[in-house]
Amino acid sequence: LHLTHPNGDSDSIRVFVRVRPLTQGTGLTTDGDQSLCLTVTSPNTVRLLSKPEPRTFTYDHVADMDTSQESVFNSVAKNIVESCMNGYNGTIFAYGQTGSGKTFTMLGPSELDNFTDDLRGVIPRSFEYLFFLINREIERSSQSKSFLCKCSFIEIYNEQIYDLLDTASASLFLRENIKKGVFVEGAVEKFVSSAAEAYQVLSMGWRNRRVASTSMNRESSRSHAVFTMTLESKESVNEVVNIRTSQLNLVDLAGSERQKDTHTEGSRLKEASSINRSLMCLGQVIMALVDVSNGKNRHICYRDSKLTFLLRDSLGGNAKTYTIANVHPGSKCFGETLSTLQFAQRAKLIKNKAIINEDTQGNVR
Amino acid sequence: MAWRAICEKFINAQNLVEIESRKDPESDPFRSRYKARELLKEIYCSLKNFEATEEENGGESGDQRPTEQAIDGQREDGFSQGFSGDSPAGLQAAKLGAVEYYLGVNHIDTEELSAGQEHLMNCIKLLERCRVSPENVSLFIHVRNQLGILWAGRDETETAQEFLETAESIYQCYMKEDGTPPTDMTEYFTTEENLLTHQERTKRFELAYTHTMYYLAQVYRNLGQTERAATYCHCTLQRQLQLNQFSPMEWALNAATLSQYYITKGRYMEGRHCLSAATVISGLAGEVPCEPAAQESETENEHWEQLRQKGAEIARCWIKYCLNLLQDAKKLLEDNIGELDTDRQEELKRARTHNEEEEEKCKKSTLMFGSEDTFDAIASLEEKVCCSFPLDFTEARAVFLVGQNYVTQAKEYFQIDGYVTDHIEILQDHSALFKTLAFFEEDLERRCKMHKRRVDMIEPICNDLNAKYYLLIRRQLMFELAETFMEMTDLKLALANRQTDTQSLDNHTIKKFNYLCSASAKYFQMFLDSLCFPEGKFPEHLEEEVLRPALVAHFRVGRLHSRLITFSPLAQLENLSKSLENYKYVVEYCEVHPEAATAVEAELELSKEMVGLLPVKINHIKAKMATNN
Repeated sequence: LHLTHPNGDSDSIRVFVRVRPLTQGTGLTTDGDQSLCLTVTSPNTVRLLSKPEPRTFTYDHVADMDTSQESVFNSVAKNIVESCMNGYNGTIFAYGQTGSGKTFTMLGPSELDNFTDDLRGVIPRSFEYLFFLINREIERSSQSKSFLCKCSFIEIYNEQIYDLLDTASASLFLRENIKKGVFVEGAVEKFVSSAAEAYQVLSMGWRNRRVASTSMNRESSRSHAVFTMTLESKESVNEVVNIRTSQLNLVDLAGSERQKDTHTEGSRLKEASSINRSLMCLGQVIMALVDVSNGKNRHICYRDSKLTFLLRDSLGGNAKTYTIANVHPGSKCFGETLSTLQFAQRAKLIKNKAIINEDTQGNVR
Repeated sequence: MAWRAICEKFINAQNLVEIESRKDPESDPFRSRYKARELLKEIYCSLKNFEATEEENGGESGDQRPTEQAIDGQREDGFSQGFSGDSPAGLQAAKLGAVEYYLGVNHIDTEELSAGQEHLMNCIKLLERCRVSPENVSLFIHVRNQLGILWAGRDETETAQEFLETAESIYQCYMKEDGTPPTDMTEYFTTEENLLTHQERTKRFELAYTHTMYYLAQVYRNLGQTERAATYCHCTLQRQLQLNQFSPMEWALNAATLSQYYITKGRYMEGRHCLSAATVISGLAGEVPCEPAAQESETENEHWEQLRQKGAEIARCWIKYCLNLLQDAKKLLEDNIGELDTDRQEELKRARTHNEEEEEKCKKSTLMFGSEDTFDAIASLEEKVCCSFPLDFTEARAVFLVGQNYVTQAKEYFQIDGYVTDHIEILQDHSALFKTLAFFEEDLERRCKMHKRRVDMIEPICNDLNAKYYLLIRRQLMFELAETFMEMTDLKLALANRQTDTQSLDNHTIKKFNYLCSASAKYFQMFLDSLCFPEGKFPEHLEEEVLRPALVAHFRVGRLHSRLITFSPLAQLENLSKSLENYKYVVEYCEVHPEAATAVEAELELSKEMVGLLPVKINHIKAKMATNN
């Protein structure tokens, strides 16, 4: 018997697709490409002009080129920030090909601290809204409630974890605690008391990410960055102190065009010559064999990827999750767009399963 | 051009590809490969010129080409037709073929697949003119490996399969017919003094064939032929051992994973063999040093950590082996109410002596792991646990103890602080080991104690876990606790009195029985509460995955409440109405959701019956209470 996430709420992972406007004068290869490979046909469908027949994809929301930053925030993040205030964990993933508007959607037009810009993205807006809610809550409770907010920012590159708030540190380990769940051991946590401070921490990490990518030869388009805000609320009612914590994760996934190298999809063979004599992937082949034979109790020696383990709770646990898939409408991007749309569809199917080992014998007693 | 110059060019080209290309800038990623390509083309031209001069000198002419063959129909006939490999024309063809091969790989590396394919096919055509011989067999294999990779990348798995299977059969025929250490392709362009030793030749050739096996394993996996894929994985692993081409830990983990394939197929002998080999080979990765020495350097520490972790992973595979073996034996032996069927037990024991001979035969025919040094160590490890189904308590206990031993070993690394999920999974296995062992135990008192051990290991963890981060795991634990307590109530009752007359039970037993009943109901209820929405409302529609557990939990809470023993009519009334409420839930849910009925057929039927009966009983008690008052 399989058990999925709680509440019978099958929509714990929602998918938002955003189509960026065509590029002009940005130096991208798609510049000046006027032919489109897709059309937005309704607020939740997009039609990809594939051959021989166009294909229609359905999501929770599809935003066309003229959608404002504010409306993206309203559909994607508002609800998640609110449930964070109520003690639930929330996660927003951004996914898409380089140049498809991920950074614009998440941060805004430039990565500077222009905090008032109308074009600012989901992240600064989330910070503002969170602190707006916090302040409102403090006022309403007439100071009986207090909040503590801390941020960490890490990067996962090549299955190694780096701290973006402490570039001098060596790679870190994921650990679990019976009370705290999964966490990155030794990651720096910065306390913040306003949206501006939170944004400052974020931009510092963002800059470090760039420095690291050039100095240490890691590509940022190949790494995942996870910004985590932990919110702790304390309420004292009649001498009883009630503490609640929740997490808001903002995840910038590696560029989808790079996924091909790391996650060889489909039937491509792994070559021994390029894996340096080690037949590493043999393990994956065997793993796949074991996985199809179900029903039996087995152990697989190869662990989950660091990212899925860290965000396990966001992938169908008791958390609210939104995936933003950014696509470029230009026909030159057809291949990438198709794979992004397919990924986004698969994302909805992700469920964190736990099997209940119910005794199948003598059920009726 | 002088021969020496060609050789130098070739070495240069190799260097460019293997070393220089790693340093190529991102803006010009194929710079070195393009340079190498130019060199290869020059080599090709020079070789062609050589051919021209030799023909003028009256060398063997290339006119007697064998008739064209199908794309890759070259199997056994490759050994009987065409030039002999060591004739001048044969050598010339092999050399040109090798350049075509390198050009093909070069084009594939620079993402010009069809050009690459053309070069590789040119190589095949050149080789078709020759018989398979020590001079060219290596190239025969290599070029097909490459074509296999190429076609698999295009999703034409069958074409890939054909090339790779041809490579396989060429290797096998060659080894049967000749078997001398063949020339390596690099040697075509080496001066006399740099030729390889026989040993090195054999090693390279065998490695190329190992790769064929490895690619075939992937191809069969992609074709969904799991059994065949498993066999080729097995072969690849065995060849790695023989050729001494492996990293011990990686190899051990692969073998351990393969064991899990075998146990899911019920092939315990193979599973045990893989695990024993995994344990022995992982030992080659180095001794796990004692802690103080490892703390000296960070790399040392990391290495030590890796060894411990992987050792623990292999231990967990062993646990699964023991657990599945016991569980399968249990399935074989249990009767329709889940108890030990003694007739069946006798029958199986009688059949066993006969089976042992069969097993011996089977053992000889299966693929075995091991190199000269490790074979005995693997065999002696295998002897420590049986691979046939345990048929009585003593035999089951022996398997259980091996499993438990690995539980201890695995827990040493996967401690609760730091590895919550892994640790709990190990505990769950430990609990399952006890549960299965209990099946073989005939003494009910001792059986009950085994279940108590399960409760003791799971209950504290279940209560300590953060409900938010470990919701799903907690649900499993709650359900398991509920079931374990229920099992204990049954045993207690059976022990105390096999009759339904509860009046004759002593106070102590009643207290104990009620405690177990309530504990079971409590955990079922906790499980149900975990399904509620944040506001505390129970979902109206149960998701498919929780449907059965949730309905079963309701049914059992109903059952448990009606079984509580009390002599106070008021309390009895309360228990029965609670019971009725739960039975009603099952019945009503299935009325609203008819599709749910199939998931809980038996429970539903009984619930309906109880919904009919209980009100009568309740009214009876009420009436009695009224008259007494």
